[in-house]
Amino acid sequence: MTSAPAIHSDAAMPPAKLISLPEAVRRYTWDGMLYASGAALPIGSDAVVFGRELLRQGRKDLHTVFHCNSQQLNLLAAVGAATKAECGFSGLEVFGFANGLRRAVESGRMALEDYSNLSIPLRLLGGALNWPFVPATVNIGSDLQDRSAFAPEDYPSRGKIGMVTDPFTGQQVGAFKPLKPDLAAIHVTMADPTGNAIMLGTEWSRFELSRAAKRVVLIADAIVDPACMRQFPNLVRIPEMVVEAVVYWPHGAWPQSSPGMYDVDEEHMRAMNAALATAEGTAEYVAKFVSAYDGVESYLEMIGRERLAKLSATATAFLMDPYRKWVLPAEEVAKIQAGSQAA
Amino acid sequence: MSKPQAGKEPDAYTRQEMMAIATGREIRDGELAIFGVGLSMLAGFFAQAHHAPHVRAMTEGGVYGSSPVGGLPWGIECNRISTNATSFTSALDALGCLVASGRCDVGIIGAAQVDKFGNVNTTGIWDGEIGDTYRLPKTRLTGAGGANDIACGAKRYLIMVAHEPKRFVEKVTYVSSPGYLDGGDARARHGFVGGGPSAIITTLGVLRPHPETKEFELAGWFPFSSPEEIVANTAWALKVSPSAHVIDAPSPAEIAALRKVDETGALRKR
Repeated sequence: MTSAPAIHSDAAMPPAKLISLPEAVRRYTWDGMLYASGAALPIGSDAVVFGRELLRQGRKDLHTVFHCNSQQLNLLAAVGAATKAECGFSGLEVFGFANGLRRAVESGRMALEDYSNLSIPLRLLGGALNWPFVPATVNIGSDLQDRSAFAPEDYPSRGKIGMVTDPFTGQQVGAFKPLKPDLAAIHVTMADPTGNAIMLGTEWSRFELSRAAKRVVLIADAIVDPACMRQFPNLVRIPEMVVEAVVYWPHGAWPQSSPGMYDVDEEHMRAMNAALATAEGTAEYVAKFVSAYDGVESYLEMIGRERLAKLSATATAFLMDPYRKWVLPAEEVAKIQAGSQAA
Repeated sequence: MSKPQAGKEPDAYTRQEMMAIATGREIRDGELAIFGVGLSMLAGFFAQAHHAPHVRAMTEGGVYGSSPVGGLPWGIECNRISTNATSFTSALDALGCLVASGRCDVGIIGAAQVDKFGNVNTTGIWDGEIGDTYRLPKTRLTGAGGANDIACGAKRYLIMVAHEPKRFVEKVTYVSSPGYLDGGDARARHGFVGGGPSAIITTLGVLRPHPETKEFELAGWFPFSSPEEIVANTAWALKVSPSAHVIDAPSPAEIAALRKVDETGALRKR
């Protein structure tokens, strides 16, 4: 950490938490766990690369929480690694239906419990605040309440979204069950080595999730000097004290986008979704884009340098301008990681 | 489905474009509005470009003060909608503080299926009714997303959907987003903050709810369609409102404004 202004140099810093992606998956994931992705909607900032590593290490029977489906869940579902999912939205926005997820749901290999884009963050907020339940003014009176894929016999279901009496008015109101995932793998634009993070673009539900999850691993496109966080403390919505580990993995959301960093890879979004429509296509995809790299450098080679340059020439690049001077070069990140991973 | 209507109009336009313009006409200047991804976003930002410059537009990701740059965004958090935002917050903020609170004036949602009381299914297609035990859909769709929250909380909302018999059904198999449920005052029983759907805008015309029964009736047809065509493409016995009329074709200014927003021609390709 070379560039911290002198005025900060005396401040005590917690230890660096940089570790490799394989190490993060080894340490913090297991079969059958409640795994949450911290993403910004289906085509935005999501640690898709974390899902690839889950598959590389053969994790299975995952009970997943995806506020919105992304290519990560599409892939986990296509391979059969996710057997349960709780989602607010399960498509790929303008890229259409998520074929891997669709195949898994239609065949019964993955039970998909439907919520909405507000009820998932409300449930996370309930988990974060350790509330017994969260009052529900949405999802009630529809089949989101009455139908449960996890308890098909319960109809009209009151085990999924229950009803309680409002003590002040006597009215019946809905009640959501809080969520406390075992792990949240949260994609962020930048983090310092200790785990303070800044997200550019919508944070979607990453704030609530970072407090609801029992453990948080950040996957960052860039590692910055802690001085950056001291310059913009109001923007640090995920502070290091809730973070277990930081993984540096540029283009970790690929083929999705990361505002300020890179655009969505339209061609690969389509090709990937087309591949996941069949078991054969999925196997081929896994061979080519999940098993085929070994570390960050070969991952970037796999995508292609020319393509990366094109994706990085995003119209949102100016969003990074205020932070650029604090971005640490890869060699320095590697040096810090060598120290913290061993610790 | 959306062949250009070159024979009828000097400025050829597609059915999708007519649907987007008719939807945009429902948005009033100064309103707090929430747009979903795809067609509804184009309709909303068309309104802003044409007649509602002070519409306060947001997406459910909590992206405020922005408009699409470089064409139809791939998603509501896409970089194409993130290049000129003045505030980025969260879903809890946009769908919660601004919609579930009752502040939002108008939302626009899409539908795979819609029924005569404006209930929307975007979750799945089943062969027949689901029955007492939940079972797998034949075809899994996208789920509710933010549409359920908009349907529950926005003061009013608009439904955009291609007009085909398979989509306009007597009763949707699965209610993903509530319209007027069984009709009448059914919404009041659940205490929804929002008022319900004010119009269904289709590729053929516009349907509006009867003030008492809340059953949707034909309110208008487009220059290239007719009440007969619309009734024939609706699987329930669609009533025609006594005040139903032909809806104005897009003006050259409307077409120009829409195509400025729809830079990549998404509405012309379909």
